[in-house]
Amino acid sequence: MLYREAGQFKTSYGADQAIFPILQDKLGMIVILALAVVVVPLMASTYMLNSILIPFLVFSMAAIGLNLLTGYCGQLSLGTGGFMACGAFFAYKLTTAFPELHIVLVFLLSGLGTAMVGILFGIPSLRIKGFYLAVATLAAQFFLVWMFNKFDWWTNYSASGVISAPPREVLPGAFITGTEAEPVTKYYFLLGFVAVLALIAKNLVRSRIGRAWMAIRDMDIAAEIIGIRPLWTKLSAFAISSFYIGIAGALWAFVYTGSVEALAFEINRSFQVLFMIIIGGLGSILGSFLGAAFIVLLPILLNAGMLAIDPTISSALVSHIEFMIFGALIVFFLIVEPHGLARLWALAKEKLRLWPFPY
Amino acid sequence: MNDVSVDQAPMTSELSTDQSGGPVTGPRLFNEVLLEVNNVSLSFGGVKALSDISFDIKKGEVRAIIGPNGAGKSSMLNCINGFYHPQEGTITYKGKERRQMRPHEAAKTGIARTFQNIALFRGMSTLDNIMTGRLLKMKSNLFWQALYWGPNLKEENEHREKVEHIIDFLEIQDIRKTPVGRLPYGLQKRVELGRALAMEPELLLLDEPMAGMNVEEKEDMCRFVLDVNDQFGTTIALIEHDMGVVMDISDRVVVLDYGRKLADGTPDEVRSNQDVIDAYLGVSH
Repeated sequence: MLYREAGQFKTSYGADQAIFPILQDKLGMIVILALAVVVVPLMASTYMLNSILIPFLVFSMAAIGLNLLTGYCGQLSLGTGGFMACGAFFAYKLTTAFPELHIVLVFLLSGLGTAMVGILFGIPSLRIKGFYLAVATLAAQFFLVWMFNKFDWWTNYSASGVISAPPREVLPGAFITGTEAEPVTKYYFLLGFVAVLALIAKNLVRSRIGRAWMAIRDMDIAAEIIGIRPLWTKLSAFAISSFYIGIAGALWAFVYTGSVEALAFEINRSFQVLFMIIIGGLGSILGSFLGAAFIVLLPILLNAGMLAIDPTISSALVSHIEFMIFGALIVFFLIVEPHGLARLWALAKEKLRLWPFPY
Repeated sequence: MNDVSVDQAPMTSELSTDQSGGPVTGPRLFNEVLLEVNNVSLSFGGVKALSDISFDIKKGEVRAIIGPNGAGKSSMLNCINGFYHPQEGTITYKGKERRQMRPHEAAKTGIARTFQNIALFRGMSTLDNIMTGRLLKMKSNLFWQALYWGPNLKEENEHREKVEHIIDFLEIQDIRKTPVGRLPYGLQKRVELGRALAMEPELLLLDEPMAGMNVEEKEDMCRFVLDVNDQFGTTIALIEHDMGVVMDISDRVVVLDYGRKLADGTPDEVRSNQDVIDAYLGVSH
């Protein structure tokens, strides 16, 4: 009844290609953004900002990055953690070497640096596919983390191997890193930053380059006879994906945790982001957000739920049960909808279009 | 199948834009050679897929390649297309000899193709599949693509219009936004033809465009092939097993068997060739 495009005529190809061609979707997005900008900062506690919303936004960025590579271009990668580490350490070296450099510029530059590293480790993708490529990217994961751990130069010779984000402001007085930074400022900064980069990602995947990626993913032989160059296309996917993941790593170290060591970007981090895009939906920008929300929220909800049932429960038991339920839920979701939450959402919308007369 | 050519004859002469396009049933004359295959041999390990094949494709004609299964027809297309590189012999296209050409380079020179088993991008909609065919013609850089603004927006709209013409031509307006994985077989074949047409090719290679279709779908496909040839002046090389179709729509036919060339000529010449009859019907030893 409410959600229907009847009567909404499009008179140009531009209108037909819009991200939200249906008016109701447009309104929905405006409402969500308004909630995120106005209501959330008013309602949310410091805890909620620091341990739910900020990591959610950082993970969304990483998930978008991996989704561009794996979901859109079909190149399986297990090197996400390594690339995030690149972003974090590049940003640290940059901002300590050039303290007057604006922090947003530092993030973007560290993303560019990570893109270079991504291209380097993407070269094997020209010869190998699928599982074999996953193993090759695993090499990137282990090598990069080892390198940042091994050489003190990356941490400016700190004894513990931990880097701490120095205080930096995005606007005069508005610190987003360092101990003085307010969670609300961090949240606003991340919201804007992630929203802009997500929009850019969406634009890319509906343009020429995105169609080239999807062509390579779906049928690389047919893609080649159309004139798509596999070399350029795959490496561009690695570059742009790593750009996003590198920025996510920098945001993780600087804005979310504030201090980090190389081991924070171990293989587990790669799997975590991979789960996000599988559960959220491969080949969907919306799915990246949904998957990140699912993976960030679920452990917290499980934890809170168990403590609500039995407040005396031991924390070791809680974490073990958490793992078990978490794993079971992932399997359950994949059986119910292998194409992820984004597909569930799309199906729900299709049903809603016909509701209440589905015939 | 005869109906097709009878129906087609008056229509083609009406719509024909180039000089050579007469009724399909009569012999059409073509002079300019578009592609020339000279003594091409191809082997995989010990298996000879093609041995010493020579033929040419003239500009504007419909050229059929026929032969029993395993005769090397698809291998021949793969050579023209740049997937395989023949060990011996040369392929000359538009007067230029090509060596070690990759498929995407062949695409740049104006060769498009469809596959025997459909090779569509299954995760994408019909519209996106055909838009992908326009890829080589799109030029806007990454910056504008990231913004989806300025030159990129203009380009997207321009190419969308071209694609809409193809969608109208192939009569697939209603499945524009449908993911191709959900389409029935015959329509998928049609979308694949659309994707090849979007490249505005000079030479269109069709690998069994009518395989697995019922009579109606075959007639539709024949109509599209002939219309493409007539309206766009596209040279067509097709592999097909349906002899009725081949004899009706092609100007010249080359027959392969066991990687060798058996015969080459107009449909009538080929039909009466004793070697061809033997290869198809078998011969007592």
